[in-house]
Amino acid sequence: MPETTTAPSTAPDAAPTARRTLRLGVAGPVGTGKSSLIATLCRELSGELAMAVVTNDIYTDEDARFLRSAGVLDAERIRAVETGACPHTAIRDDITANLDAVEDLEAEFAPLDLVLVESGGDNLTATFSPALIDAQIFCLDVAGGGDVARKGGPGIGRADVLVVNKADLAPYVGVDVERMVADASAARDGRPVLAVARTDAASVARLCDWVRGVLTAHRSGAHVPQDPGPMAPHGHGPGAGHGHGHGHAS
Amino acid sequence: MTDDTGALGALLLADARLPTGGHAHSATLEGATAAGLTADRVGEYVRARLATTARTEAAAAVLALRAAGAAPAGAPIDYGPVQAAVAARTPSRPLREASAGLGRGLARLARRIAPDAPAVAALDTAAAATPGLRPLRPVVLGALGAVLGLTEGQTARAVLYDDAQTVTAAALKLHPGDPLTAVRWVLDAAPDIEESVRRATAVRGPRDLPAGSAPLIDAWAGAHAHATRRLFVA
Ligand SMILES: Nc1nc2c(ncn2[C@@H]2O[C@H](COP(=O)(O)OP(=O)(O)O)[C@@H](O)[C@H]2O)c(=O)[nH]1
Ligand SMILES: [Mg+2]
Repeated sequence: MPETTTAPSTAPDAAPTARRTLRLGVAGPVGTGKSSLIATLCRELSGELAMAVVTNDIYTDEDARFLRSAGVLDAERIRAVETGACPHTAIRDDITANLDAVEDLEAEFAPLDLVLVESGGDNLTATFSPALIDAQIFCLDVAGGGDVARKGGPGIGRADVLVVNKADLAPYVGVDVERMVADASAARDGRPVLAVARTDAASVARLCDWVRGVLTAHRSGAHVPQDPGPMAPHGHGPGAGHGHGHGHAS
Repeated sequence: MTDDTGALGALLLADARLPTGGHAHSATLEGATAAGLTADRVGEYVRARLATTARTEAAAAVLALRAAGAAPAGAPIDYGPVQAAVAARTPSRPLREASAGLGRGLARLARRIAPDAPAVAALDTAAAATPGLRPLRPVVLGALGAVLGLTEGQTARAVLYDDAQTVTAAALKLHPGDPLTAVRWVLDAAPDIEESVRRATAVRGPRDLPAGSAPLIDAWAGAHAHATRRLFVA
């Protein structure tokens, strides 16, 4: 068990309640569009918010290079960390490298409003520790199949928002987006689900509004970081995850 | 902090599950592998480190432990001399930075478990001695050893064991092989570890710190820092 299950507010080395920066994780399987989603958020929000990005590539710094080349944010504001081939560990069990990178960016580019951390995702079980991030997006795509949302897991079930990405591809892969969103909503006890396509401005605007909302709630103290948990669904019944956020496998 | 944490502390500091960033390091095995080191020579690589760089780090940790404990009551602890000595004996910049990165993770842990301990508060004296360089891994490890009540031997052995296990754990990601064989490599290195524990605990002061450098490792670490495909920080 991690020592801290909510924000480590008593830590001398971190004071999240006083921190203006929202640390937002983006998790989800490889290829579902996390890097693209981050590029979109940078493009849409960097005019109004001071931003930085940390990527967790497994074999290369490809994601950081992609984001730098997208030209949506100053290259120095995009850092890659090595994970020793353990991307899950780096966002959950031992967050040292990521925390170092986030703290460095926050110190160098102070004051930052938003730091995005992209996981080096490789399956459905990896979620961020709330000791590293304040809120997290879990990203699926329609091309992975309409039934993925029903397969569950902590990210699908309890991330702060679930993005069903590449909605524009739905007709080509035989997926009913509305159905997929409805399935996901059911699996999430009403937590938000957003269908997004980077070419659909209205969907991108909804995602940006969600980010602005979390940032406001974070600053006011109304948002408490939740741990989606590392394991299969929570045993305390609907709503329990909202109160204490410990997400243990009971 | 309760008393009587020494024996447990020695296990904690040697445990790969300690969440202080070690899992992203290979003790330059990744660089060595890129330069052609093969799986059958990993055991030799472990032992070469134990006799050189790891021995220097172990001795530095012992000196830091002593610095934390030897200051007379009320007198300030000064890690500056040992920090400067170990930095001077780490000629490779990527390796100094890797050590400072690992020290940073250990310092975060130290501040969490014992924020008020003089041995922890004094870590600033290490950074002050080497501008631009955070407290290095062996210095922070010695400070943590003091906080947890480790002996000099336990502190030195923790450094050496961790070095060996960093190599073997990375080997499982970089080379084909059986994880149980990796355990054999560590056990086979027991005489080397114990010899280096003896040498490390016999160190008299920072000026006497062994300069156990390994030029090939330095060169591999330098090349690794520019590699575009890598799993490990260093
Ligand atoms: N059609 C479509 N393709 C997308 C969308 N977002 C991302 N992609 C593509 O999906 C692929 C994987 O995206 P990437 O962001 O690298 O995924 P990551 O591995 O999760 O970071 C790339 O070829 C993207 O161009 C989208 O909204 N619509
Ligand atoms: Mg990516």
